[in-house]
Amino acid sequence: MAANETTVKLDGVSKSFGEFMAVRDLSIDVRAGRVFGLLGPNGAGKTTTIRMIVNITAPDSGTILLFGRHIDSNLQDRIGYLPEERGLYKKMRVADQLRFFAEIKNMRGKGVESKIDEWLARVKLSEWKNKRSMELSKGMQQKIQFITTVIHDPDLLILDEPFSGLDPVNVELLKEIVLDLKRAGKTIIFSTHQMEVAEKICDDICLLNRSRKVFEGSLREIKSSFGRNSVAVRCEGGNGVLDDPTLVSKLVRHADEAQALLASGADAQTLLKRLIDSGAVISKFEMVEPSLNDIFITKVTEPA
Amino acid sequence: MKKFLTVVKREYIQRVRAKMFIVTTLFLPVVMSLFLLVPAIIVSIETPPMRVAVVDQSGRMYSQLRQAVSSDLPETATQNVNSGAPRTTTPRRSFAKFNLEEVDATNQSLDQIRANLDQRLRARELDGYVILPPDFLGQGKAEFINRNPGDVFSLQALQSAINRAAREQRLIDAKVDTKTRQDLFKPIELESVKVGAVGAQQPNSNAGFAVVFGVGFVMYLAILMYGQIVLGAIIEEKETRIAEILFSSVKPFTLMMGKLVGVSLVALTQLAIWGTAFGVFAVYGVGLLASPQITSSIPSIPFLHFIYFGLFFLLGYFIYATIYALVGSMVTTAQEGGQLAMPIILILVVSFYLFWPVSRSPDSPFSFWVSMIPFTAPVAMLVRIVTQTPPFWQIALSLLIGFSTVFVIMWLAARIYRVGMLMYGKRASIPEAIRWARQA
Repeated sequence: MAANETTVKLDGVSKSFGEFMAVRDLSIDVRAGRVFGLLGPNGAGKTTTIRMIVNITAPDSGTILLFGRHIDSNLQDRIGYLPEERGLYKKMRVADQLRFFAEIKNMRGKGVESKIDEWLARVKLSEWKNKRSMELSKGMQQKIQFITTVIHDPDLLILDEPFSGLDPVNVELLKEIVLDLKRAGKTIIFSTHQMEVAEKICDDICLLNRSRKVFEGSLREIKSSFGRNSVAVRCEGGNGVLDDPTLVSKLVRHADEAQALLASGADAQTLLKRLIDSGAVISKFEMVEPSLNDIFITKVTEPA
Repeated sequence: MKKFLTVVKREYIQRVRAKMFIVTTLFLPVVMSLFLLVPAIIVSIETPPMRVAVVDQSGRMYSQLRQAVSSDLPETATQNVNSGAPRTTTPRRSFAKFNLEEVDATNQSLDQIRANLDQRLRARELDGYVILPPDFLGQGKAEFINRNPGDVFSLQALQSAINRAAREQRLIDAKVDTKTRQDLFKPIELESVKVGAVGAQQPNSNAGFAVVFGVGFVMYLAILMYGQIVLGAIIEEKETRIAEILFSSVKPFTLMMGKLVGVSLVALTQLAIWGTAFGVFAVYGVGLLASPQITSSIPSIPFLHFIYFGLFFLLGYFIYATIYALVGSMVTTAQEGGQLAMPIILILVVSFYLFWPVSRSPDSPFSFWVSMIPFTAPVAMLVRIVTQTPPFWQIALSLLIGFSTVFVIMWLAARIYRVGMLMYGKRASIPEAIRWARQA
């Protein structure tokens, strides 16, 4: 698939439930072979957008194209969707369960068995193959749910909060798998409100807030458009300086260092000079890119 | 279609493999056979005959009584009109048998005899004695002295035997000859024959009724047992939160139909196993215990009717099962669903009462309409088929309306289900459900 091809294209899509408008005039392009982050706070319209893409619900207006075509049940088989609300059949054995999810996507034959073994090995759950899913821990179940989404080798993967509730080791494991799939040319839509995670794996992002698109573009673009106006500081003393609103518009204190967002009109040099003048002992002073989280909060709290 | 079969297969295999299914499937025939066999065995236990002494002061009763006791055909025995062949003289199995003994009443006073017999009673040489006074044939009053007046079965049998003996003797006294006597008591046979029937090959309505009752009962049983399971199956994906994953792969209608058909195949499997067990039991089990004439009276019903029975059984089952599915699409937990589903069973029970009006006038407009309404059709149409088989187009139309209704209800259920899923954890009120069904 060519790099600039569009896998999913939404054009002027709106959807409302009764009085409530869940998605308003949304247009996005998800490019093939990239990880597309669909970001936004709870209730922004992420899940509704995804449901329209996977044909669970139809938009009130606007068009959605997948692989250049309108959605139908054959196209559904090329999608792997891991919803935020997800579960497994409690009493079904893991292997039976995976086979069912493969068959429901029209994947049949001998290939299924080898895929099941392959994926179970990959998430290190091979010995659980014949256990009932209710015997599995929550984390294990989540990994099985992840396999149900990818077992039929979909071209488009849609993951809604895939890592919530997982321990760091497993987050890392699944993240690696997602990046591997991307390298294999799959397109991935990744929906989350956890900006740190999105920051690490997304190529492009779309920020949704209150049913509307706030921003869409590559992660690089959005970061550079915000400029380097953030400073990571580790110092002793100098508290008064960091709290000065004419210099620092926002200060986030971590365990042993602080992140200061420079006020408009202020520059880093001035801040450094004031800190030295105040007698603070500085062990770290570094210009950093704003985190996606900062951008997100800035954008979301900006008056519309 | 492949996806539909995938859903059916999963539903069927998961349920048939479940321990519960295996246990109930095996358990019921065992319990049922116990219920049927144990009483039969108990009844068949031979009790020693009752030793009864007879003091015949009339002098003309003893030999008649002896005969009456040995033939032992109770006066109340009714002939089964439908059994075809007239009943043979095979003695009926009875609760009481008697060993009679005549006491010579000529040389002793009644008090002496009584004292003598009382003594033998106490010594347990006798179980009782009957005193037939000299004017017995006129007055018709006798006395039975025994240790156990609570044994009403023996008392009745004895009374009946004495009754017959007295009747015979009175007829003899009235100079009625033996042949006339026998002819007088020959039972009549009333055979119910359908109008236009030729010979004995015509369907027997009574047998038909029995089968309709049977079909209705099994239908009721199947709905009671499996309605709740259908409801649970529909809710399963909501409770386990799989619905959304599935709906990105299959249409809600396909999923719902798949689940309904899967569960129904499980129900049919179980019923078939039970039916076979029952059949084997009926042929071998009962055959061993009961007299051979029971098994030989398999009703003569045309083959086509059996097909109708099957079709209307399926229709009845599916109509009510889909209602459970509809309820399942509206609620979030099985408990809630159970309460909502109760009124459904009532409709079914009410439909059974149609048996009487429809069988009395099977071709009335009322009968026509109730046999077209899907919820009453299964019972009503079957009654019509066994009484006055309606024209084929009516049967076909009834089936068409019924099965179309099944599809419409499932389609509605699928719509409500999907909209309900998009608004998590909300139970639909009836107006909401209607609105959801209209929403795309």
